Amino acid sequence: MAAGMDKIVDMPVVEKLEDFDQNSGNVLERLVFNNRMAVMVICAAITLILSYQMTKLVFNASFEKMIPQSNIYIKNYMANKTELRGLGNSIRVVVENPLGDIFDPAFLEILKQINDELFLVPGVDRAWMKSIWTPSVRWNEVTEEGFSGGPVVPDSYDGSQASVEQVKLNIRRSGITGQLIANNYKSALIFVPLLDKDSETGKPLDYSLFSKHIEEVRKKFQAAAEGKGVESAKQGAMVKVHVIGFAKLVGDLLDGLMQVMTYFGIAAIIAFIIIFLYTRCIRSTILVISCSIVAVLWQLGLISTLGFELDPYSILVPFLIFAIGVSHGVQKMNGIMQDVGRGTHRLVAARYTFRRLFLAGMTALLADAVGFAVLMFIDIPVIKDLALTASIGVAILIFTNLLLLPVLLSFTGVSLVAAKRSLEENRDESAGKGAGQLWSLLDRFTERRWATIAITISAILAVIGFAVSLNLKIGDLDPGAPELRANSRYNKDNAFITSNYSLSSDQFAVIMKTAPEGCLKYESLIEADRLAWELKQIPGVQTTISLTDMVRQITSGTFEGSPKWFTLSRNQQILNFAEQNALNSNPDLFNPDGSVMPVIAYLTDHKAATLDRVVAAVEKFSADHSTKDRQFLLAAGNAGIEAATNIVVKQTNRTMLLYVYGAVIVLCFITFRNWRAVVVAVLPLMLTSILCEALMVVLGIGVKVATLPVIALGVGIGVDYALYLLSVQLTQQRSGLPLGEAYKNAVQFTGKVVGLVGITLAAGVVTWAFSPIKFQADMGILLTFMFIWNMFGALILIPALSHFLLQGVTADVPVEEQVNQENIVKSEAF
Amino acid sequence: MNYRRWQHGIIQGMFLMSTVAFATGTADPVYRDVLDTPSRMSNLASGTLLNSIVSSGKRLIAVGHRGHIVYSDDQGKTWTQSTVPVGSDLVAVYFPSDKNGWSVGHDGVVLHTADGGTTWTKQLDGRIAAELMSKYFSNSEQDAGITMQADIKRYQEQGPDKPFLDVWFQNDTTGYIVGAFGFIFRTVDGGKSWIPLLNRIDNPKNYHLYAIKPVGSDLYICGEQGSLFKLDATGYFKGIKTPYTGTYFGITGKPGALIIYGMRGKVFRSGDNGKSWKNIETGVPAGITGSTILEDGRIVLVSQIGNVLISDDNGATFKHLKVEKTLAAADVTSVNKDTLVIVGFRGANIVPVK
Repeated sequence: MAAGMDKIVDMPVVEKLEDFDQNSGNVLERLVFNNRMAVMVICAAITLILSYQMTKLVFNASFEKMIPQSNIYIKNYMANKTELRGLGNSIRVVVENPLGDIFDPAFLEILKQINDELFLVPGVDRAWMKSIWTPSVRWNEVTEEGFSGGPVVPDSYDGSQASVEQVKLNIRRSGITGQLIANNYKSALIFVPLLDKDSETGKPLDYSLFSKHIEEVRKKFQAAAEGKGVESAKQGAMVKVHVIGFAKLVGDLLDGLMQVMTYFGIAAIIAFIIIFLYTRCIRSTILVISCSIVAVLWQLGLISTLGFELDPYSILVPFLIFAIGVSHGVQKMNGIMQDVGRGTHRLVAARYTFRRLFLAGMTALLADAVGFAVLMFIDIPVIKDLALTASIGVAILIFTNLLLLPVLLSFTGVSLVAAKRSLEENRDESAGKGAGQLWSLLDRFTERRWATIAITISAILAVIGFAVSLNLKIGDLDPGAPELRANSRYNKDNAFITSNYSLSSDQFAVIMKTAPEGCLKYESLIEADRLAWELKQIPGVQTTISLTDMVRQITSGTFEGSPKWFTLSRNQQILNFAEQNALNSNPDLFNPDGSVMPVIAYLTDHKAATLDRVVAAVEKFSADHSTKDRQFLLAAGNAGIEAATNIVVKQTNRTMLLYVYGAVIVLCFITFRNWRAVVVAVLPLMLTSILCEALMVVLGIGVKVATLPVIALGVGIGVDYALYLLSVQLTQQRSGLPLGEAYKNAVQFTGKVVGLVGITLAAGVVTWAFSPIKFQADMGILLTFMFIWNMFGALILIPALSHFLLQGVTADVPVEEQVNQENIVKSEAF
Repeated sequence: MNYRRWQHGIIQGMFLMSTVAFATGTADPVYRDVLDTPSRMSNLASGTLLNSIVSSGKRLIAVGHRGHIVYSDDQGKTWTQSTVPVGSDLVAVYFPSDKNGWSVGHDGVVLHTADGGTTWTKQLDGRIAAELMSKYFSNSEQDAGITMQADIKRYQEQGPDKPFLDVWFQNDTTGYIVGAFGFIFRTVDGGKSWIPLLNRIDNPKNYHLYAIKPVGSDLYICGEQGSLFKLDATGYFKGIKTPYTGTYFGITGKPGALIIYGMRGKVFRSGDNGKSWKNIETGVPAGITGSTILEDGRIVLVSQIGNVLISDDNGATFKHLKVEKTLAAADVTSVNKDTLVIVGFRGANIVPVK
C-alpha cells in the first residue's frame, strides 16, 4: 500500500479550484473534466434517444430461442416442423362441473356456449376444433351394411332428459372417453387447434392477445358460475374452466415477464436504502441510483435498436447491470466523499477519484464481462442473447458509472456532514471501535487456530456438499410446465387434465421420414408399429399413438369390427382406405403428402432419466431400422425437445465450468502474479460452486438452461471480491508488512466495500425469487446464494488460506518486479 | 416455396450423407418382413391384444398380435411368453392334445408346437399357401374351374396378405385351417403338407371363413354374410341356410344345441343340426366374439364391448353376468366351473363366475 499512499500524497488536499492544475491528469481525464458540460449534454442526448428507442422494445417468450438450435435433434424437428401438425399449436380447454357430472342439461348448455365463444376467438383453426359440440366428433357402429353413426350430440338435442340419455349413449359408443370426456364423466374437453397466422390479418399469432381472449372467456363463465351475470347462471349450473397448451403457457410467461419488470422498482428501492445507510448522503445516493438507472435505460434502448427482444432471460440483465452499476458507483462516491471530507474541492475530489479508480473499475468490469462472455459458448439462443446484452450493459457502465457519475458528483458534491462522518468511521474502525469490532474479528482468521478451524469446516462443507451434489439431476424435475411454478394455475390445470384424461402432457415424438406417400406403405407402417411397441417397453412410457393404431382400428371396423382384423394388412387398398379415414378424423397423424409421420410416446414425467431411456431406445431402433428410404429421426414433442436440451445442457455444464474457471484463473494470475494467491482466490469460489450444486439438489432444482448461467455469473462476478481483497493484501505484504497486518489493512480498505458489493448484488437478484416464472426464481435464489456466500468465502477463507499459503510473500524481492502497476492502482480503489 | 424446397433438399441430403457415412461402419439396416422376424420378447405381451385362448391339459395358451404367444401354468395368474419365429398378428389357436398345438393368423401363417406351447415353428405362410394352391389346381385331376384358376393367379400376385382366421384339429395329424377369401386347407400329416379344399366347400363368392368347430358329431364352418357350412360324409362342406345376412364370428354348442353368434349381438340356436333356427335375444349391441362351455355345461359368450353372457339351459336363454371391470373381449376359456379367463385388448384377465 506504500505505493498507494504515495499516490495519495501526490493528490494533496486542494480546497480552492484556482489552486488546481486543470491540465494535470491523463488525456481522458482532461477530455472529460475540462468539457463537463459537453459530457453531460451528450449523455443527456443519448439518454433521450435511447429512452425513446426503449419504448419500441418487444417482449417475446419464443420457445425456439430456448432450445439448442444446432443440436441434431432440434435440426430434425425444425426441418419437419411444418409437417407435424398434431404436435403444433393447440390449447385444451376443460370445462368441469364440480357439483355433478356432465350429463346435466344446464352444464351441457354452458359447454356449448364456451365452445361457441372459443370458436370465434381470432387465431383458432375452426375447422379442426373438437368437442362433443362440434359435428366432427361422431360415434360409429358397425352394421351389416358397414359403418353407421352420427354426431355425439345429435341434431335433435333439446336438453330434455331423453336427449341427454341419447348423448350419454353416443359418448359410450364413440370411444371419446379419456380424450374429450373425462374418465370420471365430470368434465369435458374442447380441443382448440391454432393457426400460425391470423386468418384476417395474416400476421403471426399474437400469443399475448390470444391468451387475453381465452382469459376473458374463462372469466366470463367462471363468473357466471359464481352467480354474477350471464343467463346460464340462473340455471344453477356451476363450471370451472381449465386451460392448458403452448399458447396459454406463452401468455402466462409474458404476464410473468411484466410482473418481474415491476420487481425492478423494488430492487432499486432496496439498493437505495442500502447505499443511504452506508453513506448517509441523500444527494449522492440519488446520483448513484440515477446513473445506474441511466445505464439500464441505455442498455435497453441499445438492445432495442440492435433488434433484440426481451425474453424471460434477458429481462434479468437490467437487474444485473443495475446491481453492478450501483456497487461501482458506491466506490466512486466513497472516494469523493473521503477527499471532500479531507477538505478538497468537489471537482478536484472527483478528478482525484477518477484518477485513482478508472483503471480499477475497468478491471473489475472486465472480470464481470468474463463471466458473461463465457456464456457465449452455450449453444442456446436465449443464453447467447443474455451474454451479449449483458456485455453491452457492462460496456455501458464504463460510460455511465465511471465517467458520467464522477462528472455529476463534481457538480453536486457530497453532503459535508456525511463526508466527515465517513472519515471518522474509518478512524474508529482502525481503532477497533463500533463496526470495527466486526472487521477486526475477520483479522483473526489470519491466525493459525482460526485459520485451521475455518479451513476444516470448509473442507467438511466441501465434502458434504460434493456428496450431496452427486445427486444433481439434469433437466426439469417437476411435473407440468417446468417454466412455471408447481402451484401456478397453469400447472394446476395441467395436473387436473392429466389426472382426468388418458393422455399425459409430456409427448416424445419420433419423426418417420420417407419419400412422398412412403409413410403410407405397408413396410413403413410395420416399422412404425415396431417402434411404437419398442417405446411401450420403456419404463415411463404411458402409451404411444401413431397412424398405425388408427389403421388397425379402421381395418378392424372394415371387417365387421372383428378384433381378428385389428391388423396392418399387406393389402395396400385396405391400407389406403384406412389411411383416408384416419386423415379425416386425425389429420395430425401424418402430413398430407405422406412423407412425415410422427410416432408419439406419452411419458409419465419428463425427468432426465426417463428422457435418457427413451432417447437411448430410439437411437438404437433408428440405427437398426433407418434405411435410405425411411429414417427415424429424433425428436419432436415437448419431451423430445427437452431431451435434446438436456443433452446440450449436460455437455455444456462441465465445459462451461472449465471455461469460467480457466478465465478466472488467468485473470487472477495476471493480477496477482503469484500462483499461491491464485489458489487462495479460487478455492473459496470452488467451495461456493460445490455448495451451490448441493443447494440445487436440496431445493430440487435440476441443471437446465436457466441454471447454466448461474455458476458462470456467480464465479465471474464472485471473483471480484478476491481481486479487491487479495490485491491490497499482497501489495501490503510486498511492502514488508506481516500477513496479519496486511490483511487487517486490506479489510479496512476493502472489507466494507466487499460487504457492500455482496449485499447490493444480492439485492439486485433476490427479488427474482418471487417471480411467477419458475426458472427465474431458481436463478434468483441460486445467484443470491452465490453472491452472498462468495462474499463470506472471500472475507473468511482468504485470510485463512493466506495463513497457510501466503506467509512467504515478503518484500525481499525487489518491489518493482512483483507489483505491477495495475495492482497498485486497483488496490487504491478501496 | 422454391427456396424452401431447396433448403429442404439440402437438409435431407445432409442427412442422407451422414446416414451413409454412419452405415459404412456397420451393416446397412434392411427392412425385415414380419414373417422373417421372430416375435419380440416383452413383459407386456400378456397385457396387450390377445385374440384367442385355449386350455390344454393344465396349461392355458393364448395368442395375439405381433406374434405374441403366452402360456400360463397357474390358471392365468402369471404368463410366460413363448418363442415364436414370426411377428405376424396371430388370431387363433387350437390344441388337439397336451403337446401338439397349432396357431394361425395374418400373413397366412401357420405355427406348430410339439412341446405344449413353449416353442413354435412355422409350418406354412401366405407365400407358400398361394404356391400350394396353384400347384394343386394345375393338376388336371382336380376340378378347379375357370374362375377359381383366375382367383388363384391373383392370390399369387397379391402376396401373403390373406389371414387364416381359425384352426381346428381332429387329432395330432388331421386338421383344418380356414381364413379370408374362403381359404381352406386340410392336413393329414400334422401340418407337414396341406391340401387346399377350395373345391370342397360350397362357397362360390369366397366369403371370409371366421371359425371352424365341431358340435356333436358334425364339423361346422361359419363366415361372412350369414354363411354356415357342415362337413358331409363325402368330405364336402355343404352350405346351410341361416336366418341372418351379417357375419358369424363363431360356433359353439353341444349335441342337439347348435349355437352360432356374430356381429351386433346376434345369436341363433338350432335344435335340429341347422334345419331350423331360433333367434336368441341378448341385448348386446356389439359383436359376440368368443365362447366356451364350463365343466358344468353352462355356455358362456363374450362380446367386443365386454358383456359376459351365460346360459344354463343349453343356450335357449342367456343372462348377463355382472362383471367387475369391462373387458373388450376377443375370446374366452374356463379354468374351472367358477373361473373364466377372458382375452382381448387388455390381454388375459381372470373373471370369476357365480
